Amino acid sequence: MAVVEQSRPLVGTNFYQVCGKRRSIRWFKTWKPVERERLQRILEVVRVATSSPGNIQPWRAVVVEQSKISPEKRERLLRADNMQGGHAGAPVWIYWFGDLECAQPAAFKQRLRELIRAGAAPTSHGWSDEVAEALIDRGEEAPEGLPELREILHGIPLEASAAVAHAETVGAADIALLAAVNEGLGTCLCMPAAPSRMGVVREELGVPETWVPAWLQLVGYPVEESDAGGQRPKLPFEEIFFEGDARTPFRRQPEVVRELEQAGLLQAPAPTPDRFEELKRLAQLFGYPI
Amino acid sequence: MSRGADLLAYVSVRRWISSVDGLYHLTHQEWHLRLSILDEFCSSLGEDPDHVISASRLDREAKVEYMRRLKHLTGERYPEPRTAHEAQNVVRSFFIHNGARVLTTPFPPPQGAGGG
Repeated sequence: MAVVEQSRPLVGTNFYQVCGKRRSIRWFKTWKPVERERLQRILEVVRVATSSPGNIQPWRAVVVEQSKISPEKRERLLRADNMQGGHAGAPVWIYWFGDLECAQPAAFKQRLRELIRAGAAPTSHGWSDEVAEALIDRGEEAPEGLPELREILHGIPLEASAAVAHAETVGAADIALLAAVNEGLGTCLCMPAAPSRMGVVREELGVPETWVPAWLQLVGYPVEESDAGGQRPKLPFEEIFFEGDARTPFRRQPEVVRELEQAGLLQAPAPTPDRFEELKRLAQLFGYPI
Repeated sequence: MSRGADLLAYVSVRRWISSVDGLYHLTHQEWHLRLSILDEFCSSLGEDPDHVISASRLDREAKVEYMRRLKHLTGERYPEPRTAHEAQNVVRSFFIHNGARVLTTPFPPPQGAGGG
């Protein structure tokens, strides 16, 4: 059994560098397994850092290490996903699901009560067990100062719960990406399967019917250069962020941009000059066409 | 049936070269090798490149049959499996850049490295 070294404090890359280095890695060292403690740390980060409405925490993950499953199971899971190259090469697959039962009114009320007892949903703002029951169970109108839970939770259909569970799990998977980068790993989100073949994944992984598929996270040591060809194309800042109203672009200060370039958040855009030569050699290494 | 440089007369071949070179900038030597492999494949079929692509795009079964014959040809022509696979990839590239999706199974992982 692996023993985690106790005397060495955990040191991650700084936050801006982690965010700046985050990009979808699709070429992995297929021969290098990922240490179990790194996988655990990714999951621990998600558990603690991910936010969700009412603290419902619908995310569920099934970690699959390719080296620990049968060739037949591997083949079935890959076929369900159309044999995608990155999927085939990543040593670890984390399947992310949202449990719609967590987004049902009863579960929401239970989590809300926990928040009240934890001192996170304060009485000063109007929260109490009685208020939670009135809003969620009886569908009463919310008093001023509290969210109108009646309209979003009272008697909601399963489809709406599924949508909420899915959306919140997508956020969790994004946190997992950053956690993986912080571990020095390459990572990427992709479809867990073609929708028509999702049943194969459910069957192979023993997933309950109430779990809604969100993402498949590929994890492994990257075989690409550390910059992985540069930061992917991003929409201009002023086209996506606004202030005051949706017509006024958020004013971007050049000095902040320079600061973030130095901190490692803003890096050279893709493709870097040698990117396609790198892709050519990666294709040769693994046996893919270009 | 060998066309050699005549391959360049075909739209699908010009599209292939243009699309690949738009990203990868292959050398003349690399293209010479790639064109000779494509030429050999088309000659073995007795069909021209444009027809191979149009048939593949119209009929999935035809595409599957082309891939089967490609594996057969390269298996005979190149005894070393890796070389045969690389030759297949040249033709797969021709298909992909002409919009005919084909599946590539990568090289197996090194011994003892697990499944992936």
